[in-house]
Parts: sequence; C-alpha cells; structure tokens
Amino acid sequence: MVMALFAATAALYAIASGLYVHFLAKGSEGGASWASRVLFGAVACHLGFIATNWLVAGNEPTADIHQALAVLSLTVVLIFLLTARRRQRLQVLGAFITPVTLLLFLGAAFRRGVGPVPEEVRSALVPVHVGTNVLGLAAFAFAFAAGAAYVIQERQLRQKRLGGVFQRLPALDVLDTIGLRSVLVGFPLLTVGVVTGTMWAVQLTSSPLGLSASQGFGLLAWLLFAAVLLLRVAAGWRGRKAAIGAMLGFLMTMVVLAGYLARDALGGAG
Amino acid sequence: MSELFVVGMSYRTSPVEVRERLAVDAKALGDELEMLREVADLREAVLLTTCNRVEVYAGDPATREAALDAVTRWLGERAGEPVDTYVYQHVGLDAVRHAYRVASSLDSMVVGEPQILGQIKEAYGAAKQAGAVGALLDQAFTRAFSVAKRVRRDTEIAAGSVSISSIAGDLATKIFGDLRGRRVLLIGAGEMGEAAAKHLRKEGATLYIVNRSREKAETLAKEHGGHSRGLEEMAAELAQADVAIASTSSPRFVITPELMRGVIKARRHRPLFLIDIAVPRDVDPRVGEMDNVFVYDVDDLEQVAQANLGARRRAADEAEEIVQHEVRAFERWRQASDLKPVIVGLRQKVRGVLAAELERTLPRLPEMDGRQRKSLDKMVDAMTNKLLHHAVSELKEHAGTPEGQVMVENASRLFDLASGSTEERADAERVAEELEPAPGR
Repeated sequence: MVMALFAATAALYAIASGLYVHFLAKGSEGGASWASRVLFGAVACHLGFIATNWLVAGNEPTADIHQALAVLSLTVVLIFLLTARRRQRLQVLGAFITPVTLLLFLGAAFRRGVGPVPEEVRSALVPVHVGTNVLGLAAFAFAFAAGAAYVIQERQLRQKRLGGVFQRLPALDVLDTIGLRSVLVGFPLLTVGVVTGTMWAVQLTSSPLGLSASQGFGLLAWLLFAAVLLLRVAAGWRGRKAAIGAMLGFLMTMVVLAGYLARDALGGAG
Repeated sequence: MSELFVVGMSYRTSPVEVRERLAVDAKALGDELEMLREVADLREAVLLTTCNRVEVYAGDPATREAALDAVTRWLGERAGEPVDTYVYQHVGLDAVRHAYRVASSLDSMVVGEPQILGQIKEAYGAAKQAGAVGALLDQAFTRAFSVAKRVRRDTEIAAGSVSISSIAGDLATKIFGDLRGRRVLLIGAGEMGEAAAKHLRKEGATLYIVNRSREKAETLAKEHGGHSRGLEEMAAELAQADVAIASTSSPRFVITPELMRGVIKARRHRPLFLIDIAVPRDVDPRVGEMDNVFVYDVDDLEQVAQANLGARRRAADEAEEIVQHEVRAFERWRQASDLKPVIVGLRQKVRGVLAAELERTLPRLPEMDGRQRKSLDKMVDAMTNKLLHHAVSELKEHAGTPEGQVMVENASRLFDLASGSTEERADAERVAEELEPAPGR
C-alpha cells in the first residue's frame, strides 16, 4: 500500500514534469492545464503516501530524513500550486519546480530498514530543526527554479532568440524578484536549521569540533546563501550572478541531503 | 433572388489621394448612406471607409448590374474622377468571403492588425442606425464579426508585434514586467526613437529626454509629456534609466564601454535595456557584452519584425481555411432562408384548402361539441404535415442546386403560390417574417 502510493506519486510527478517542460518548450494549447491537473493528482497521492506511512507504517513525518523529504517535497509543490493559482503567468515555472519536487520526493525512498532516529539521540530540537530546514529548503527550491528560469531567459534575450520559450517565461525582473524574496525568506529559516542542528550535534558528541562532512557542506551552503544575500542587499547584486549564486546554494544543500541519505543507506547513524 | 455584393477600392488597387477624397466623417455617414441608397436604388447598404479602403456592401438591388454601376458612378462623383480602374466588385458568396477576409484582417496591409474589426463594427452600427441594414447584411456582418473573432482566437494571426516601436515596448515588458513607474531616457530626436518613446510612455513609463539642443529637448518633452535634460547630464540620466533609446545623428558611438562602466557602477547592477535606433549606430557593440545591459539595434528589431510577419503569414493560411468553412456555413443559411417562402407558401395553401372545406362541412354537423371540433382542427394540421412531408424534405435536400431551383419553381407553379388572393399572400408574408425576416423582396 505504502509502496504503491509512493510509486504512483513519483510516476505522476514525473508525468507532470514532462508536461510542464513540454509546455515551456512548445507552448501547446492547454498544456499547462493538463500539467497542473496531473500535478494535483500527484499531490493527492503524496498526501495519501504520507498519511498511510504515518498511520499504517508508523513513520512520523519528522521521524527521519526520508519522512522529512516527503514533507519537504510536498511543501514545495503546495507553495507552487498556490502561487501559480494566484498568478497564472508563473504556471510555466512548473517546468523547474516539478522536477525538483520529484527528486526530493525520490529521496524519501532510499530506506534500508534503518529505524527512526534512536531514542537516545532524540531531542526537543528535532522538530524545530526539521521544520525550519523544510521551510527554508522549500524557499531555496523556489530560488533555484527562479534562478534557472532567469539564466535561460537572460541567455535568450542576449542571443536575441525571442521565440516561444522567451515569450512564455516570466519577465526577467519578475524572476529576479522571486529569487530575491525566496532567499530572503529561506535564509533565516535555514539559519535556525543550521544552528539547531549544530546544537543537537554538540549535545550528542559534547564536542563542537566533531562536525561530519555533511554538516560541513551544510555550513558551506549556508555561507553561500549568506554571501548571495549580502551581495544582493548590501552591494545591490542583481540578475544573472545572483541567480547563479542561488542555484549553487541550493545544489549545495542537495549535496548535504545526499550525504545524509548515503549515510543512512550505509547504515550509519547519529 | 437577392444577393450580397461589394464595390470598393483598397490600398492594393487605388492611390491614397483618391481614397482620401472618399473618406466620410462618422457624423455624415448616415446622410451619405441615404444618398447612396437613393441613387443606386438599394434597400440595404453599409459604407466602410478607412485609410486603407473604401467599400460599399449592399444587398437587394432591383437589378444587380444597374446597382453595381450606380455605386461605382457614385464613388466616382465623390472622388471627382472616374474610379472604374480602381474598384473591385464581388457578388454573392465572393462578397461574403471578402467581408469575412476584411474583418479578419486578412486583407489588411499589416495582416492581423486589430483596428479593422472596430472600423467595420462602426460602419455597420452607423448603417443600422440609418435603417440601412436588412436581414442579408445583418447576417453577413454579424457572421463576419464572429469569423474575425474566431480567426484571432484560433490562429496566431495577431501574435507578435510587427512595428519597431511596439517590439521595443514588448521587449521592455519582457525585461521589466510592468513599465509603470519605469524611467525611459530618449537620447536624440530621431523619428523612430520618438515613436518608441511614445509607445513606452503609453505603457506608463516616465519619459526623460536629452538632446544636443536643449530647446529641441524641451519641445519634445512638452509634446510627449516628459522631462528635458541637457546633454551633459546624459551619464547621470543613464544611471537612473530603465530603458534608454538612442537615436542621435552622431557619426560616432555616443554610448561607449568607458561611459557605461561608470554608469553600471552607479546603477548598482540594475538591468538596462538599450535600444539603438540610430543609423549609424550610437551604442558601441561592446556595451552589449556587459552584465545586466541588453542592447538591441535597428537590425535586431527589424529581424524580430520580419520573423513575426512571417509567422502571421503562415497563420493566414489557417485563417483562410476558417473563412472558407464559414462561407459555406453562410451558403447553407442562404439556401435555407431562400426556401422559407416556398415552404411557408405550401403550408398556407394546403392548410387553407383543408380548413375552408372543413368550415363548409361543419354547419351540417350541429351535434359536434367543442372538444370534437378541436380534434378536427388537429387533424387538419396533421394532414397538412403528412401531405407536405416528402415535398418539404425533397426541397431541403436539393436546396442550392439547379435541380432544387427547378423544384422550387415547379412547386410554385403546381400549387399556384404566386397568385392567390392578396389577403392570402399578405398572410403568408406575415408568417414568413415571424419565422425570420426573409431577405426576399
């Protein structure tokens, strides 16, 4: 049951991704509405997956990194659906958001029978740590999508290729603003996430120097976002470089997540 | 049988001086129509005058040849010279197709331009107000409007701008999203630059103008509702502008990378859209490689215009198919409405005879009560329908063919539909009109 729902959700996200990319590339009539219908279906399965996984299989949404990824991908897609509902022209960003959602969601699968976080490493910090990271990463997923769209759009404008893709993507300034706001929202959340995570690690090891590689990457990603934000706000950075910076920051956080997943897969804990 | 016809001239067939003289003020349109209908003996007429065409659509003349001549003569008199060599004439379905093509902007100088539909609607409205629109023109024009709407909706005929100034506006919108509150800087006073600036200003941007001659800048600023600045303030203005349009007559580059380096620093990386409309160019091509600066010159814009025009032409083929389809739909309507008088006549005739015989018999049946009487009336209706059922479906099936035409004539003759008492005929006409205002005279 849980596996079937998982497979259905992933398949629907994959189809929706294809439809959105096709819509961006070809602009077929009604393409976006089909894509969003499939995406609604995916969200329904996704909710079903989380619910059964929790109630039937007993995995709390904040139990471990896999459950957190399921929640994170759902958060991303829900924010997107709400945004696209309010502003139809942003619908096309689904071509970037939906594949990211799919990847995050797939991360929820690589479970190798590792139980939830063991009792002795549990802490009141965990829900805060997971919650803020989920919201912060969701915001950065948007910064990534807007950044990718910006880079493409800017390239088309510079190469004077003003075809359908150029017409369908939102205006440069709109994408830049989405990128800025996403980083502005995501950064404080991720900061809380990093701080609580570090505190938790210190509690566990009683040594602030015992940082693992993935924690190090997490810090690096955080620093990158800090730099992007600082350059944007203080030095007035805009456009392509800011977009690329936000994209790199998000990719870095993905490396961190991949690190956690790999560690889990290898059976390590803590 | 009455038919639609059109007599007109367009930018394709006539010089503008002639069309100019035929232009009619909207207020005078009613009177002109009145005169035209009088001299050409027309029941229905619509007069369309735009800068690219002058056309008279009419229906229902006493004799078509005479009407075509009379309309052409009337145009000639008003133009002050014979117009025979300039005019084209279309009759029947060709005239319908022409109306559809004009309304859909397929016959326009810039294919897909949106104004023509409004102009036709105005002409039609004026004619309607003057009481010059009957069933035929009414059908032709209301159908033309929906054809035009369908063409715009279902094809790419109006997609993509084709003028330099609107393309510049589109691009600016694609960079900034909304132009309200954005600053547009016009450098120099070339004609095309002015047009582009005007376009951007219409979208809500504020306009600043720098020019070598301060006076000229001030005149332009007054004319377009902008602010004028001296040439020495150009760098400072560039630092604040969102869009800059360069159209000076300078032989050298006015906007150089050296100048822009300072400007970009002052702008704090805000994007700048530079439109170089000058020939020779005002903007050093190296400026286009700088971050957050987008440079488009006349050739770039011209290329976009050509590409969009090409797309419109391709869409025009699809549009012609829609028009063709709709012309056939009009044909079917015409055929159906042509049959109406015959069918109504037949029913009247048969029912009249049956009812009269019934009236004659009833006095001999005094014991009949109201309910039974009603049953007999129903029977008369049923007999009429049964008797005529096959004839009517045959007529409908052959409508529009020569055979059908013969059938209509034979039916009229066999059932003596043309004669009959005046009363009967008046009755038949009334019924026909209730069904739908028939275009028959």
